[in-house]
Amino acid sequence: MAEEVKKKTHTPPDPNSAKYKLGKIAADAYKDAIAAKARGEKVAWVSSNFPVEIPETMGIATVYPENQAAGIAARGAGTRMYEEAEADGYSNDICAYARISLAYAKLKSCPEQDVAMPDVLLCCNNICNCMIKWYENLAQDLNIPIIMLDIPFNPDNEVSDAQVAYVKGQFLAAIQQLEEITGKRWSDERFQEVMNNSCRTSRAWLAATAMARYTPSPFNGFDLLNHMAVMVTARGKPEAADAMETLLKEYQENHETGKSTFRAEEKYRIMFEGIACWPWLRVTSTGLKSRGINMVTTIYADAFGFDYDSFDNMIRAYCKVPNAINLETSRDKRVKLCKDNHVEGLLVHTNRSCKLWSGFMPEMSRQIGKECGIPVISFDGDQADPRNFSEAQYDTRVQGLTEIMDLQKEGDLA
Amino acid sequence: MSVQELLSRFHTAAANPGAQLKQYLAAGEKVVLTAPVYTPEELIHAMGLVPMGAWGADLPLEESKKYFPAFICSIMQSVLELGMRGAYEGVSALVVPSLCDSLKCLGQNWKYAVPSIPFVPMTYPQNRWGQVGEDFTRAGYERVIADLERITGQTLDTKRLVDSIRVYNRHNAAMRRVDEVLANHPEITAAQRSDIFKSAFFVKKEEHTTWVEELISVLEGTAPDMGGHKVMTSGILCDSPALLEIFDSLGLQIVADDVAAESRQYRTDCAEMSDPLAALCDKFTRMDCCSVLYDPDKKRPASIVAQAKARNAKGVVVVLTKFCDPEEFDYPFLKRACDAAGLPVALVEVDRQMNNFAQARTALETFREILS
Repeated sequence: MAEEVKKKTHTPPDPNSAKYKLGKIAADAYKDAIAAKARGEKVAWVSSNFPVEIPETMGIATVYPENQAAGIAARGAGTRMYEEAEADGYSNDICAYARISLAYAKLKSCPEQDVAMPDVLLCCNNICNCMIKWYENLAQDLNIPIIMLDIPFNPDNEVSDAQVAYVKGQFLAAIQQLEEITGKRWSDERFQEVMNNSCRTSRAWLAATAMARYTPSPFNGFDLLNHMAVMVTARGKPEAADAMETLLKEYQENHETGKSTFRAEEKYRIMFEGIACWPWLRVTSTGLKSRGINMVTTIYADAFGFDYDSFDNMIRAYCKVPNAINLETSRDKRVKLCKDNHVEGLLVHTNRSCKLWSGFMPEMSRQIGKECGIPVISFDGDQADPRNFSEAQYDTRVQGLTEIMDLQKEGDLA
Repeated sequence: MSVQELLSRFHTAAANPGAQLKQYLAAGEKVVLTAPVYTPEELIHAMGLVPMGAWGADLPLEESKKYFPAFICSIMQSVLELGMRGAYEGVSALVVPSLCDSLKCLGQNWKYAVPSIPFVPMTYPQNRWGQVGEDFTRAGYERVIADLERITGQTLDTKRLVDSIRVYNRHNAAMRRVDEVLANHPEITAAQRSDIFKSAFFVKKEEHTTWVEELISVLEGTAPDMGGHKVMTSGILCDSPALLEIFDSLGLQIVADDVAAESRQYRTDCAEMSDPLAALCDKFTRMDCCSVLYDPDKKRPASIVAQAKARNAKGVVVVLTKFCDPEEFDYPFLKRACDAAGLPVALVEVDRQMNNFAQARTALETFREILS
C-alpha cells in the first residue's frame, strides 16, 4: 500500500490554464468538423493563411491540412504517408505537408490524426505557390470545388492599392461562391464580431510573445510552435481570444515571480528561423535546452499579428504575411524581433519542404546577422519528412553557435 | 539556303547567346533579360528594347550557392550564376515574373547578387479571369513599363505596341507552323529542333520569324520522310545537348511538345484591340494548360494527351526539371491521363548541372523498346 501511495499520480491539467484552453481549442477544431460533417454540414479544408474571417463568419466547419500534416509527422506517421504519395508519382522533393495531405485524401484515414473529409477547399497562396498546386490536386482527387484566393508575393515595401483591389475582388467573390456551395449566409454583423475577436486574439498573442523581451524570458519559445495552431485555425473565436489573454497573463505572472516555462537556466537567447522539424521536435528542443539555449522568438511571433481597423486593412494584413513579402521587409521584421528580445544568435532551419522560405534565407540571414551583430548558423532539415534531418549535423551546428555566442559574451568577437 | 544552312543559323544563335548579346550592345541596342516562364515581351519590344530570354545554362553552380540552397530549381540557380559571373554585363534590366516560388526567390537574391543589373518584378495574378484579374495584370504591366522607362529612358508608345503585338503574333504563328511541319520531317534532329526554339529567345523576333518562315518554306517543298519513333515531350526545358543526343541516337522523333521554353510560349496570340495594353492583359487571361498557371479544372493532362494523339505520338517523355514544384505536382495527373489513353510515359529527371546521362539513356532505351 505504501508503495502505491508513493506512485507518481497524474495531475489533471488546470482547466483555467492557457495550456489547457489552447489544447482544447485545437482538439475541438478537429472534433467540431467531424461532428458538423455527421450533421450533414459542409466542411472546408483551409490553407493556413486563408482569411479565417470568411469561414468563421459563415459558420463553416474547417480543417487545416497543414496542422493535420504537422500532427501526423510529429506522431511518427509521416513516412507511411509519403510512401503512399510517392507510389502515386509524387516526387520526394515536394513539400512534405502536401505529400501527407494528398496521401490522406486518397486513404481517408490516418489514426495519428483523422479529420473530416472536405466538401470545398479554401486555398490561399500568400504563404507559397506550392499551395495552389497542392489544392488543385486535392480538388481533382476529391472531385470538390476549390476557391483560390490569390495573394501574390509583394516585391515592394508597401501593399499597392492595385493589390488590395485585386484581393478584395476575390474575397467578395469567394463569399458568394461559398454561399452557393454551403447554403450558409454572410452576415456583416457577424463579420464585425469575428474581426473583433481576431484582432483581440492577435493583440494578446503579440503581447504574450513580446514578453520575451525580459531576461530571462518567461517562456520557452517552443511553446509558440504549439500555441501557433490556435492562431492559425481559431483566431476569430472568442475562446481563442480568452485563451491568448490567459497566456499573456501567465507570462506576465511568470515574469513577475521569476518563473519560466523554459525549464533550465537561460544562458543564451536565440531566434529560430523556419518551421519546426516536427518529427524531430524533441531532438531539436533538447539540443538547445541542454545547452541553456532558449529560443525566445520566431517570426511566428509576428506572423499572426492580424490587428486591423478596417476591411481594407484586413486585406493588407493578409498581403503582409511572412512569405508574401520581399527580402527587406522580411529582414526588418526579424531584426526588430532580435533587437526587441535581446537575441544573441540566429539558428536557421534550411527546410527542404519549403522552397520559398529557404530560397532567399542565406542572404536575408546574413543581413540580419550583420545588422544585429549576432552569429548565424543554419542546419538542414524538413518540417515533416524525417529523412531530411541529421541529428549529428544539428548537434554540431548548435554547438558551433553556442561557442560563438560564448566568445561574443566574453567580448572576443566584439 | 539549304535546310542544313538554315538549321546551322539557328544553331549558331542558340549556342552563342553571349555573342548575340555583345552584338546588340555593340550596335547601341539596350537589352532587357526576360526570366521564365512568361513575361510581357511585347511591351519591352515596343519600348525599343531588345528582350533576350534568361533561362540559364548548363554549367557548374558555384557562386549562386551563396544565395540558393541546393534544392532550388537549377534554372533559377544558373540564371543567378551567369549574372554573378558577369555573363549578362551590359544589359539594362532583368524582368522576373512571380509565377513560382523559385522565381520569387530569384528576384530577391538578384538584387544583392547582381546589383549592377536592376531587377524588375512582373507580378501576375493567378486568378487571371474577370475584371479584377485583368486590372491586376494591367497594374503589373504598368509597373514594368514605369520601371523600364526609369531605367532605360525609353518610353512606350501605343502605336508601337500595336506594331509589336503584330510582330509577336506573326512569330507565334510561324513557331506553331514550324512545329507542325517538323512533325513530318524526322530527318531534322531533336537537337536541331531545339535550336529553332532556343534561338527564339536570343534573336529579335522580326528576324527570327524570317528565319523560321524560310525554313518552313524549304521544308514544305521537301517530301516528308519516314522513320523514327514519334514522341511528345513535356517539361520546362528540353535543351540539353547530351539529352537531345540520346533522343537522336535512339531514333526518338519529337513530333509535339508541351515544353515551357518551346511551344507553350507560342500557343496564345494577342487580339487586336483599340487599347493594346488591354489586349495584352486579355492574352494573359486566355493562357492556360501550363504548370505555373492556376488550373482549377486540371485541363493540362488532357490537353497533352489530345496533342500527342493529334500528332500521332506513340508516347510522352516527361523531362522533369529537378526541384520544379509545379511540374512535379502535375506529373501524377499527367501520368494517369496518359496511362488511361494508352500512351506510355518515360520520366527523365534533369537539371542544369547534370553531366551523367546514363540513367536518362537507360530510361529512354527502355521506353523505345516499349514503343517498338
